[in-house]
Amino acid sequence: MNTSLTTEEVRHIAKLSRLALTDGEIEKAKEDLSTIFEHISRLSELDTSGVEPLCHPAELQDRTRDDTVGEALSQKQVLANAPAVRDVYFDVPKVLGGDA
Amino acid sequence: MSTIQERDTFNAFHEYWDVENEQQSETLQGMTVAVKDNIVTKTGTTTCGSKMLEGYKSPFNATVIDRLEDAGVVLVGKTNCDEFAMGSSTEHCAWGPVLNPWDITRVPGGSSGGSAAAVAARLCQGALGSDTGGSIRQPAAFCGIVGYKPTYGLVSRYGLVAFASSLDQIGTCTTTVQDAANLVEIMAGFDELDSTCREEPAPALSKNLHDSIEGLRIGIPSQYTGSQNDPAINAAITSAINTYRELGATIVDIDLPLTEVGISTYYVLAPAECSSNLARYDGIRYGHRTDKPCKDLFELYSNTRAEGFGTEVKRRIMLGTYVLSSGYYDAYYNNALKTRRLICQEYQIAFEQCDVILGPTTPSVAFKIGEKADPLSMYLCDIYTANTNIAGICGISIPCGFSEVEGKPLPIGLHLQGSWYDDARLLRAAQMFQTATDFHTKVPECAQ
Repeated sequence: MNTSLTTEEVRHIAKLSRLALTDGEIEKAKEDLSTIFEHISRLSELDTSGVEPLCHPAELQDRTRDDTVGEALSQKQVLANAPAVRDVYFDVPKVLGGDA
Repeated sequence: MSTIQERDTFNAFHEYWDVENEQQSETLQGMTVAVKDNIVTKTGTTTCGSKMLEGYKSPFNATVIDRLEDAGVVLVGKTNCDEFAMGSSTEHCAWGPVLNPWDITRVPGGSSGGSAAAVAARLCQGALGSDTGGSIRQPAAFCGIVGYKPTYGLVSRYGLVAFASSLDQIGTCTTTVQDAANLVEIMAGFDELDSTCREEPAPALSKNLHDSIEGLRIGIPSQYTGSQNDPAINAAITSAINTYRELGATIVDIDLPLTEVGISTYYVLAPAECSSNLARYDGIRYGHRTDKPCKDLFELYSNTRAEGFGTEVKRRIMLGTYVLSSGYYDAYYNNALKTRRLICQEYQIAFEQCDVILGPTTPSVAFKIGEKADPLSMYLCDIYTANTNIAGICGISIPCGFSEVEGKPLPIGLHLQGSWYDDARLLRAAQMFQTATDFHTKVPECAQ
């Protein structure tokens, strides 16, 4: 498996990750990620044909709680850590347009 | 200023809480315990060692916090950790690196480095940590204390800030196995607020702890000893094996060939889950938000996250994003999940042959601050501990010797792993060693 990344690929990953990186950070990330992927690619040497993926060690079934009203945080508590609040709302800058 | 604050010359704590009584206590009532800064508490702040959560005040307590307070445990403050628990040295903390009390030019290990250093320096009797790939056991080994990661699902994760949810587990840093058993016994047990918490009643861990196990079978994987370890570590492990033999245990040679691919598997699964869990930090509802003018929502998110997260966290988010991205999902993520099943099966077979698996916690003793600058060499610190989390079994690191380096004794950790929910037996086996040895009573010069 080819494990070295191109600058463009790293830019794309940074974009998907919603991280604004400088050109210098992109180059450093390219170097570091390529070294890490070279190590990780050892996984492909292992024969895993016919093995079922295991997402979770406990292999639990979904568990639902009883549908009863319980305690919840107040509006004030929920808003207490917000970077900006207006009235009873999270205040955000005008962000229409472009991709999210 | 509290006594703890005066004595903390290691940057172990991020926050010291006012406590009326800092006296040592023999029981849980009044026992002084610090909390890793990624476990939420209504008292003080919870920052995860990150600028992203600077000043964050949780409106609720983690379940473990409520249970400890109900038992009369005295919580003394929050300990520094690698940012969002990602790291093996506690150098990646927004509030500065934590120093190792045995040698302040060295790291305490990580990510629960503040918790391990605090207990090693006897600033408090115990500390909570979290272990995703070795983050309690590796710093415990580097700091000469007991680090216990319970079986996945034994202790509620509600209120533990998520890094990799299928691997994360809350556990303890203490000076004795007895304290670990006492604390985890209080914290364990079903919690409806954590859907991955086991429904069966928690096992009694402290009762019968001092009864030695008749016919204990100890498995030694050939993969755990070899030239990859410091010679002093191999010597300490050989000596520990002899101690168990003298205690009447049967030593069994076992095989864990997938030890080698553990780190590769871990560094696909953990970053994948991390990239998903840390998507919540968007600067809208809580946490850091950029001051820069942004032309759209994309820029608001991207600038906020670039400013709030440190280098290692960004690296892991990108790693995880990549292995989950279209075209690479099967080759990396899905393949790692298959390997995860094989690692579980390997342990199942091993635990038919033995009761506990023994080896070193780490291949080397505590390294110098700044020594492991390239990320891969840091990741390889967790070679013996990552598979425990991948399989979800229990593990404990206990002091088993010292290596004299540059005139300073540096602690060595003995790693014992037990089968799923076999925590009581794991702890009893660890207690047998501690009853027969005195390594756990040694304290660094600063604490004498």
